[in-house]
Amino acid sequence: MLIQIGITPDPEVDLSLVYDAVIVGSGAAGGMAAHVLTSHGFNVLMLEAGKYVNTSKVLRSMEWPYDHPRRGKMPPDYHALTLNEYTARQSPYAKSSPFTKVESYVQSLGPNDYTKDLVVDEKQNPYTGTTYTWMRARVVGGKTNMWGRLALRLSDYDFKAKSHDGYGEDWPISYADLAPYYDKVDLYLGVSGHPENLPQMPDGRFQRAIRLSAAEVQMRESLKKMGRVLTPYRAGVTTDGLKHNKYRSRCYGRGACHRHIGGCDIHAAFDSTTGLILPALDTGNLTLRPNSTVYEVTVDNRTGRASGVSFVDSRTQRPYHAKAKVVVLGASTLESARLMLLSKSSAHPSGIGNSSGRVGHHFCEHVMGPRVAGFMPSLVGKPRTLDDGKPGGFYIPRFRNIRDKQSGFIRGYGFEGGSGCSMFPSTANTTPGFGQEYKKHVRDFAGATFSMGGFGEVLPRFENYVELDPVVRDAWNIPALRFSYQFGENERKMAADMTATGQEMFEAAGFEIISRSTDLLPQGWSIHELGTARMGNNPKTSVLNQFQQSHDVKNLFVVDGSSHVCASAQNPTWTIMALCWRSCDYLANQLKKGDI
Amino acid sequence: MDSINRRELLGALAGAVCVTGLSGAHVERPSFFTEEEFVMLNTLTELIIPADEHSPGARAVGVAAYIDRVVAEAFLPEDQLSWRRGLAAVDRFSVSSIQKAFNTASGEEQIILLTQIAKNEKNPETAAERFFLQLKQTTAFAYYTSSVGIHREMSYQGNVLLPEFVGYDAT
Repeated sequence: MLIQIGITPDPEVDLSLVYDAVIVGSGAAGGMAAHVLTSHGFNVLMLEAGKYVNTSKVLRSMEWPYDHPRRGKMPPDYHALTLNEYTARQSPYAKSSPFTKVESYVQSLGPNDYTKDLVVDEKQNPYTGTTYTWMRARVVGGKTNMWGRLALRLSDYDFKAKSHDGYGEDWPISYADLAPYYDKVDLYLGVSGHPENLPQMPDGRFQRAIRLSAAEVQMRESLKKMGRVLTPYRAGVTTDGLKHNKYRSRCYGRGACHRHIGGCDIHAAFDSTTGLILPALDTGNLTLRPNSTVYEVTVDNRTGRASGVSFVDSRTQRPYHAKAKVVVLGASTLESARLMLLSKSSAHPSGIGNSSGRVGHHFCEHVMGPRVAGFMPSLVGKPRTLDDGKPGGFYIPRFRNIRDKQSGFIRGYGFEGGSGCSMFPSTANTTPGFGQEYKKHVRDFAGATFSMGGFGEVLPRFENYVELDPVVRDAWNIPALRFSYQFGENERKMAADMTATGQEMFEAAGFEIISRSTDLLPQGWSIHELGTARMGNNPKTSVLNQFQQSHDVKNLFVVDGSSHVCASAQNPTWTIMALCWRSCDYLANQLKKGDI
Repeated sequence: MDSINRRELLGALAGAVCVTGLSGAHVERPSFFTEEEFVMLNTLTELIIPADEHSPGARAVGVAAYIDRVVAEAFLPEDQLSWRRGLAAVDRFSVSSIQKAFNTASGEEQIILLTQIAKNEKNPETAAERFFLQLKQTTAFAYYTSSVGIHREMSYQGNVLLPEFVGYDAT
């Protein structure tokens, strides 16, 4: 029995207090900061730009499509930007759109009626510059309400990447520094996985693993001969349950995660609201104020220290100021960088924490696009199986540039994929023709399908950056971001290799290929923005120290993906939370000692 | 869940029976399409996903009625016009090929016409060829999200509570 969740939607917040810490953002980073700091007994204020949406109610994960008047689609006056609109148009993409609300749905996050209120209205949140598909969720819990929930660890192939291949910078930490915090995140939030003992992707403290389909078993066995690994989707999902969290159920393999990607109304899949924020509220040490759009970190000009944050109420536009001993930014890689650049003062003329001029730079992510789809011949026409009653399919970890050295590119990529029967047969859209033959083909091949797509590391480059647009402002009159960001030669060569190895693995497993794509998807498609305020030991070339503390402003911490020094091939969320936990432990000790 | 969802069945009957004018008792008109267009849409969707020995087809699950509902509430006029123009393009193709409106062609002729419109599916050029893709994709969506499509045609087994995951342990 899950506890019914009740957050007061419009709390009266006491802004006469000086809080120990004010946290900006309520996603993976902000939520984790709230958990750790309230556990240490601090009085914490959390500001979230979006509203509170009760996902236990709106997601309706098990509703059949035919029980919804539009088969799950959004209302007619809502519009989701298409791939074509992103590539053919100039940003701001929603400018002069006739629709009431314009949303960004990328990757496999299909537009739908259930999650439509979790993502931002593009009309209110414009940005400019080079092509970028920037998906944002301004809502309590942020993007964790609908994330892909692949929960992976980075390794010293990432943290010490420069030592390995000479490019970029090493992180100011090593895997040994972070491993205990990965363990804490695993145990507090739950992660499902099968141990593989891989140096490039360390195992975690796993709960019950997802099972594989027949085709996935065949691919796993085939890959063993090639020295590669197919492992069950390592999901940030509690498959055994969490005794210490009354808001989250264990996973019951309903498979609805396939339709409302990420969204889990029983919260077996981690979301920041039920995993971190509600338990933090229960300590009595956290005050949450949704609908609070922060536009500046304020500064005491005598000392140069942060004094709090200024924000407007997102609905009324009324301005407020919150005072705190420490300011913790967890607004997301791009929003935290924007906020730092917005916070100009005589003490910090180029933006708070930006004496290095590096804020907004070394922006990186994952490149996507290359994928291979096909089927396992021996499964064609076989009786139905239940293949989608699980939080994810499979993952093939990076295998390039570990012991080998590729001639065309450095770093690596992994594959995410799935196979078999699902509620909507993928063959319905890939089978040519019509009539009885079409119908039979869709039916016979649906359970035999197998597909996978690559996620490759984009190198962190100084020349890939975001800055404030001098003209365009959002609905709260706050300067918008302008992108100068492009993929480079390393990404293109890596992507070509993804398609080649994907094809090679299909052939080795005896799978027939129906389609293979070599095209890159637009920048931003992975929803894995990273690196705009990187950590480092040198204050001249980095923004934050190893504890995500500003080199310039000792009481400013930036605990989201902006701190990452490189993107790695592995998905970032679990690392964001492990780093944040470590930094907030440090912050707490410093604060107790009176050092900040 | 083996039987046709009752609501769909009633909807399908309302669509099929009323528009063909076989029942004088309760005539319900489509919301957006003309009766002629609706007959054509019903025929085309059934040709794309026909009834067979395995399960009912598009007509029985009310695919045309679903499309009518969605197009009627479309926000942009061009999203309605594309359907009207598409059906007209198919009709023009029919007239130019066999000198008959699509609705008056025989079942065999209709299959031949649709085969020609579908042959450039990968690189559609004419208006009728482009419309085929739109029609097929929408038909497939409506059919495979219907109760018949999910439970009877595809015998889908998921969306249930599982104490244990189904499949094979990684070893």
